[in-house]
Amino acid sequence: MLTRRTLLAMGLMSTMPVLASSSSQPRKLTVAAFPNVDAIIKAAIPKWQQLHPNIDIEVVSRQYADHHTAMTTALSTSVYLPDVMALESSYLGRFAQGGGLEDLLREPYRIDQYRSRCVTYAYEQAINRRGAVVAMPTDIGPGTMLYRTDLLAKAGLTASDLAGSWDAYVDVGVKIKAATGAYLVSNIRAIKDVVIRSGIGPGEGLYFDQESRVLVTAPRFQRAFKLSQKVRRNKLDAKVNAWSNEWAEAFKRGKLFTELSGAWMAGQLSTWVAPDTKGLWRAAQLPESTFVSFGGTFYAIPRQAATANKSLAWDFIQLLTLNTERQFAAFKSQDAFPALLATHDDPFLEEPLPFLGGQRARLLWRDAARQITATQVHKQDSFAEEVINNELDNVLDNDKDIGRALADAHRLLERRSHR
Amino acid sequence: MKGDLRSAVFVTSWPAYLIVAAGALIMLTPFYFMFVFATHSRTEIFNLPPPLWFGDHLIDNLTNLTERLPLWHNLGWSIYVALASTLLTLLFCSMAGYAFALFEFRFKRSLFALVMATMLLPSFMNMIPTFMIMDVLGWIDQHRALYIPGAASAFGIFLMRQFALTAVPRELIEAARMDGCGEFAIYWLIVLPLLRPALGTLGLITFIASWNNFIGPLIVMRSVENYTLPLALRSMQSTTNTEWGALMAGAAIATIPLMILFAVSSRQLIAGLTTGAVK
Amino acid sequence: MRLPATFRISPRWAPYILISPFLVLFGVFSVFPLLFSFYLAFHSWEPTGGLQAMEYVGVANFAFALQDEWFWKALGNTAWLALASGLPQHLVGIPLAVFIHLSFKRLRVRDSVAGIYFLPFITSTVAITILFSSLYSTDYGLINAVLHTLFGTENIDWLGKPVYVKPTIAFIVFWRYLGFNVVLYLAALQAIPKDLYEAAEMDGAGRWHQFWCITLPSLRPMIFFGVTLSVIGGLQLFEEPFILTDKGRGGPDQAGMTSAIYLYRMAFDFNDFGGASAMSWLLFIIVALMTWLTNRAFRPHKGSV
Repeated sequence: MLTRRTLLAMGLMSTMPVLASSSSQPRKLTVAAFPNVDAIIKAAIPKWQQLHPNIDIEVVSRQYADHHTAMTTALSTSVYLPDVMALESSYLGRFAQGGGLEDLLREPYRIDQYRSRCVTYAYEQAINRRGAVVAMPTDIGPGTMLYRTDLLAKAGLTASDLAGSWDAYVDVGVKIKAATGAYLVSNIRAIKDVVIRSGIGPGEGLYFDQESRVLVTAPRFQRAFKLSQKVRRNKLDAKVNAWSNEWAEAFKRGKLFTELSGAWMAGQLSTWVAPDTKGLWRAAQLPESTFVSFGGTFYAIPRQAATANKSLAWDFIQLLTLNTERQFAAFKSQDAFPALLATHDDPFLEEPLPFLGGQRARLLWRDAARQITATQVHKQDSFAEEVINNELDNVLDNDKDIGRALADAHRLLERRSHR
Repeated sequence: MKGDLRSAVFVTSWPAYLIVAAGALIMLTPFYFMFVFATHSRTEIFNLPPPLWFGDHLIDNLTNLTERLPLWHNLGWSIYVALASTLLTLLFCSMAGYAFALFEFRFKRSLFALVMATMLLPSFMNMIPTFMIMDVLGWIDQHRALYIPGAASAFGIFLMRQFALTAVPRELIEAARMDGCGEFAIYWLIVLPLLRPALGTLGLITFIASWNNFIGPLIVMRSVENYTLPLALRSMQSTTNTEWGALMAGAAIATIPLMILFAVSSRQLIAGLTTGAVK
Repeated sequence: MRLPATFRISPRWAPYILISPFLVLFGVFSVFPLLFSFYLAFHSWEPTGGLQAMEYVGVANFAFALQDEWFWKALGNTAWLALASGLPQHLVGIPLAVFIHLSFKRLRVRDSVAGIYFLPFITSTVAITILFSSLYSTDYGLINAVLHTLFGTENIDWLGKPVYVKPTIAFIVFWRYLGFNVVLYLAALQAIPKDLYEAAEMDGAGRWHQFWCITLPSLRPMIFFGVTLSVIGGLQLFEEPFILTDKGRGGPDQAGMTSAIYLYRMAFDFNDFGGASAMSWLLFIIVALMTWLTNRAFRPHKGSV
């Protein structure tokens, strides 16, 4: 739809290059973010001002969900857009499909020249259905299993008992529960979520394929449900939600044997959730060498943002994502595992981690990061996740038949798949 | 006379007092804990059972808070917006409520239905169009966008109308008119004083609602210095790594003005008018 | 105060001038959003693509909403919660206000008691979230500990089992708004002329009789106000279930997912603004109907004033 306003804007745009180079040098870049990405961005400002002394950076910070809501609002109306927006990976899929973000493959960005410098799956996550790359990855959350060595020893087991199949993992859980009373996992959904992510075929997403066909009756779902059933029958799940008091308390009391989560979880446990358990934890790859990601952050440039600022915005994104010093600073201060491969061969990754009893766990996480594959996202993914969670509850609490539960989920999702 | 009145009480025995006291305890507890939490580190807050007595992290929490937020700016804006919003709401709502209660005019019923209808719309469906209006008006990042749009709140008009129905005698208005009193004078000198208890209630509720509102500021506010407190405090919350201790200290600070307000206004509110004044 | 005649407003025009601020603000800030959401209800929209991304889909959104299991589930949850949290607010609130009004003669004491009941209304939601999730904790919570000591019950998973989620939320809503209603009723009680009671006393009316024949009828406009607010507030219930359930999703089996939460999630979680708009209009019709019914039930008798 061409309005008078857009015509006017187009007219203005043709004279833009002249203006941009001479008088209208912008003096401020606006960057919208959420904690703790905002802290990472603020920390980069001194370095930025050495490079561009005349250009200030204004960081607009909002609560995590508020930020993404505000970005949706700004993109929908194309006004008051920031020059750079941070996006969390679980929101990236939705934002990528809408066409409100700049395709970074184009001039002046040419993001493809940096492709080989980023963790592969993170870069691929930012590619939308039309092949555009809409965001630059900055940090990633390689999945890992944290486990308590002291509990393992108490049950007379070793780490090698834990490494293997999911069934072996559950069997260890049974022995741990018998010997120490500790639960295998905080919430059964953690196991289900990892298992349904293993064995995703090419061109498939987690719940839907490229043609929006529903995939929830696939073997990986059957398996995840059966495994969950086994865990529940042995009462191995503590039934607590992450980030609740019960969850934190269970960690402090040594009531949780493992936690399946992103690499950053070790930092959270050591700084505040359960600092007193220092030295008792170790990290390992997830059972059956499953490689999944838990979160990650990207930077994008809105298509309707001030044109004159775009190349500067890209400069700033490059500073945050391609500068090893900045990537390390974020890694050290906020446990933001770098998406920049150049940082992965640094001695810093080989440093022993005291909280994990001196284990060189960062190397483990680096290996995981390299093996994760990007999955196709679908608009209805978050609805699908919830439907599956419901049916899992039905199976575990009400003894619903797994086949019927997944068939019901399939039916519900089919109605939504094309909305 | 007092003795007679006491006999009008239908429950005055000690079990009633006991129940009321137990209820009061349930009401008070979370409030107490808010202040206790403000003095603990996040690790301690997440203990179970939670800390029962005050800890020694208050200074740390406050330092952390003021480092991360322009707290005093945010507090100042919150007070400014809440006061402006309260004054404007009291004025507009008492005017409209009085009109709906004591005048007969065309479209009265439909207009009142319209007022009621505006109460029924879920506010977040309006986020995107409201943002567009604010942009057209040039009110983005302006505090007036927070206190003007809601100033003729349906809730307030409704409350004023309901109160005016009983508190403002029609004969009094008629008599004033006979005496040659202008319509504005009637509203200002007769109606407003009679509405005082309800004005107190509405003022308190409006102040609190404005104080806690975060959807409005979320739509229009763009710079952290201009944020009101709830938005600023929320901006410290992340999914994983939140400074709960600092947040609790902020939450406690945010409540103090409301407590003072309640203490000041409760006399107005509850003890307000004696029956003699109504006559 | 006498104004010059030219500034005088005639009683005919006065009401229109008195309601003009409402009309202006409504015109500027509410009409456009209403039209926008009405327009949107007939479109499919990917909001991050900008305004030009809207596509006309006819009544497909309404058809979808009416057949959507979750829409009806959310509506059922909302009705349940509105009733279970709303009714006690008044059934407890009115007697409590009368009791406070009559039993605490000293103003300072009366203020303090009312003030304490009012506190939950001003307690920060963050504190409430953390505190109630500790109180309701299955293994370490105070509530289960007390129940266990008193009745020897098994630990109950208050926020993890669909059957318990609703009562848990309803209690917190009741807890939060009881004091609000008490303050409303206390304000209304001030306005009841004392001589009404004195006259009744003379006629030998008992306490109950006075309560039924004087107090309750006099409170009627305020009860109408309070109940309407509870109905509207109940049907738009959002914050309490949002903060108490994991990620604000409404808990296991969405047992605590109210219509307002579902609408919010349709729009901002599932990015279905068209569907959310259609649902909000359907909801509007339902709520308007309910409010109209409340209105009829409490309409003052003609000629009773």
